[in-house]
Amino acid sequence: MRHIIRRITDKAFTILTGTSVVLLTSVLLIILGPMVWRGAKAVIFKDTIEFRKMQLDLYNRGNSEALKIETSETESFRRTVYKIVDDFKHGIDTEELIDKSKQIYRQFGKELRYRGITGKQYQKIRSLARDLRGRLQAAFESNDKKIIKENIDYVLQYRKNKYFVDTTAAEFFTLAEDFYKTIENIDLNKRQEYTASLQQIEEVIFQLLGPRPDEPLPALTMERYGATRWDLAQKLLDNLLWSQQWIQQEAGQPLTKIRVSRAEQFAGTKLEPLFGYVENNLAKMLKPEYTFYWQYFIDDSTPGHYFGGVGPEILGTLLLTLLAMLFVFPLGVISAAYLVECASDNIAVRIIRMCINTLAGVPSIVFGLFGLAFFVLFFIPLFGGPSKPCILAASMTLAVLTLPVMIRASEEAIRSVPQTYKEASLGLGASRFRTFVKVTLPAALPGILTGVILSISRVAGETAPILFTGAVALGPLPKSLFDPTRTLSYGSYDIAVGDRLAMMVPHNQYGMVVTLVLLILSLNAIAIVLRARVFRRLRGE
Amino acid sequence: MQKGNDNMLIPSLETDTQEIESVVSLSQKNNVATKKKAPNCECAIVKSENFSFYYGSKAGVKDISMEIYPCSVTAIIGPSGCGKSTFLRSINRINDLIPHTHIDGKLFVNGHNVYDKNTNLVNLRQQVGMVFQKPNPFPKNIFDNVAYGPRLQGVKNRSSLQQVVESSLKAAALWDEVKDDLKKSALALSGGQQQRLCIARALATRPNIILMDEPCSALDPIATGKIEDLIDKLQNDYTIVIVTHNMQQAARVSKRTAFFCLGELIEYDSTVKIFRNPGKKQTEDYVTGRFG
Ligand SMILES: Nc1ncnc2c1ncn2[C@@H]1O[C@H](COP(=O)(O)OP(=O)(O)OP(=O)(O)O)[C@@H](O)[C@H]1O
Ligand SMILES: [Mg+2]
Repeated sequence: MRHIIRRITDKAFTILTGTSVVLLTSVLLIILGPMVWRGAKAVIFKDTIEFRKMQLDLYNRGNSEALKIETSETESFRRTVYKIVDDFKHGIDTEELIDKSKQIYRQFGKELRYRGITGKQYQKIRSLARDLRGRLQAAFESNDKKIIKENIDYVLQYRKNKYFVDTTAAEFFTLAEDFYKTIENIDLNKRQEYTASLQQIEEVIFQLLGPRPDEPLPALTMERYGATRWDLAQKLLDNLLWSQQWIQQEAGQPLTKIRVSRAEQFAGTKLEPLFGYVENNLAKMLKPEYTFYWQYFIDDSTPGHYFGGVGPEILGTLLLTLLAMLFVFPLGVISAAYLVECASDNIAVRIIRMCINTLAGVPSIVFGLFGLAFFVLFFIPLFGGPSKPCILAASMTLAVLTLPVMIRASEEAIRSVPQTYKEASLGLGASRFRTFVKVTLPAALPGILTGVILSISRVAGETAPILFTGAVALGPLPKSLFDPTRTLSYGSYDIAVGDRLAMMVPHNQYGMVVTLVLLILSLNAIAIVLRARVFRRLRGE
Repeated sequence: MQKGNDNMLIPSLETDTQEIESVVSLSQKNNVATKKKAPNCECAIVKSENFSFYYGSKAGVKDISMEIYPCSVTAIIGPSGCGKSTFLRSINRINDLIPHTHIDGKLFVNGHNVYDKNTNLVNLRQQVGMVFQKPNPFPKNIFDNVAYGPRLQGVKNRSSLQQVVESSLKAAALWDEVKDDLKKSALALSGGQQQRLCIARALATRPNIILMDEPCSALDPIATGKIEDLIDKLQNDYTIVIVTHNMQQAARVSKRTAFFCLGELIEYDSTVKIFRNPGKKQTEDYVTGRFG
């Protein structure tokens, strides 16, 4: 009977522990899965022709001939888009229309002078042209269709006038006709609204397709290319098709956001076909393709995380981590050695021990401020260094942050070296120092390396301690340890707080986080392999 | 052993090796060889005068006065917890590692009071080698284990290190088993081999005295036999103090035996006397197994 009960409890124990392991693993996967999935999009994604253009321009990657052909294929579709927009714009933009009419008038005046006509005739035609221009302006500026019609009709009656036929002034009439056609079926009171909306539309188109082929290249690299990623292009398409408006549904209620179809907003106007056209032909304008952008891990980001990769961030993170390890390893081991081998159990040592334990629980932002106050403003300038956030200060701050972890792990490791090793060494006439260096330390090394692994994990992911001591979101590669650096942790934080950026480059944000996780994992893997090797060497295998 | 000796280490080592080897071969030919007496063996090499050792306020050993003679094996026997190890470990002051301890009385090694303030611990421990109850080779290879002591003494030359290692391993009767693979980890050896390695390691520093604290307690009879043979051979050149729980072992290997009980030295005499004709009732009870 007892035997059966024992077997049942044993089984239950196995099942319980097994399920908890499964549960933990699945929770981890549920949390990590989506993050990795999104992060992977930084490397494997559907790019667009804009991306390929950028790669060719900035890094000289890709086939320029093929790209040229592709570009010309997209161009005809893009041209249609521009034409629709321009046509509508010409009909509605008062200032532009007035400018145009003035231009025609001026051009016509110049022409007249070389026509070989008498001064009197010149005066007469010129004043007539001025009159037409005035009427047109009145029409353009009016919101009343009746007045517009009167004025336009007035202008159009001179269409057959022999002084105007085949001259620049003939453009008055096309302008007038176009304008009339455009406004025929739009509500002129909505003109203001249209202009504002049109501005947004043009901006979205600019973000989608980049600068127009006939425009000069913008100075900012960021503005030279349209949407480089297909997912981003689709987001922009959504912005194009729908406008967001804040309305108050009831008095006294908070504003609510609604989506308004722009196609409806512009229904009946010349712009209406634009939306359907872009929606149907976006792929033809951007030519999406799957790409494996492994250079994400080495490329610099151009400008500020919009395009490119996280090369400098990886470099900075590695640099800070390794440097911090360089500081904390000897410091931690020596402190631990003191605590285990030399310190007697008195009040002072107990206080030191308590301080170390407390330090381990101090929030990292406190270390950040400490680093600013101590390393940046005091310690480094003391030795003639610059008093500004820099890699050196940041890595020292990180070293201080992780010192308690390191000391505790090393202490544990040194303490667990069998007393018999020490006795044997001392029994052979070795000094205590010699015994520590030759016997205790090698035997404790695996345990100390465990401390290093813990420290790396802590250090590489920290943001707060480097916030004021050496991290920047953007900027050139550091040239020395006295320059600040970009890091993965700070980069993703920066994207997260720049809300517009976070919306535009979610792939980059997740990409940085996943890269960080991968980096920490691989650093740990290296340390673990190292530890295994040390262990094997100790065992003499 | 003073500093000046270091320079003379290499030549003198060779003569030592030859000596050891000649002794080993002699003893192989003739078992009587172990009875051979070295000169000047009559004055004590270790001498304690009312020596007490305290762990905190508790005495590990109390008021021990005894003399240990050179070039012989001295056994210490007694029930568990009676202070055998404590006494043995006081001789090379390895007990100093334990906090809150103090001593009383005097303990001389080679005529120097080892608890004197200006005792050079390094020198003392080079003179007094120790083999522990559990084999404790360093987690290094065999060569580095044996060469540890000579390296501490400043021997860097590869070939002289090689010589010391070889002669020590031969003296510890381990050479034939490991000579092909000196780079093997010491931890990969069997327990008996490890213990002989520890003995070789102790021999390599060329001590006068070797302290052995139950060196065979973790070994099987065959390995024990090998160690006992080894002790037998070594006693011609070294003073050996061995703690053991095994009466037969004490009887087999030692010339003199000390019986400890409850931290006190009850009786100290020639082994023959202790086992055949003990002077005290306690001793008799213990050696005949009636102790309890
Ligand atoms: N590190 C220590 N701290 C405090 N007391 C100790 C310590 N080591 C030994 N003792 C005490 O000193 C006494 C003698 O111990 P010791 O180890 O010398 O005995 P032993 O004769 O070697 O016993 P065994 O045969 O079991 O090895 C014991 O009562 C023990 O409790
Ligand atoms: Mg003991």
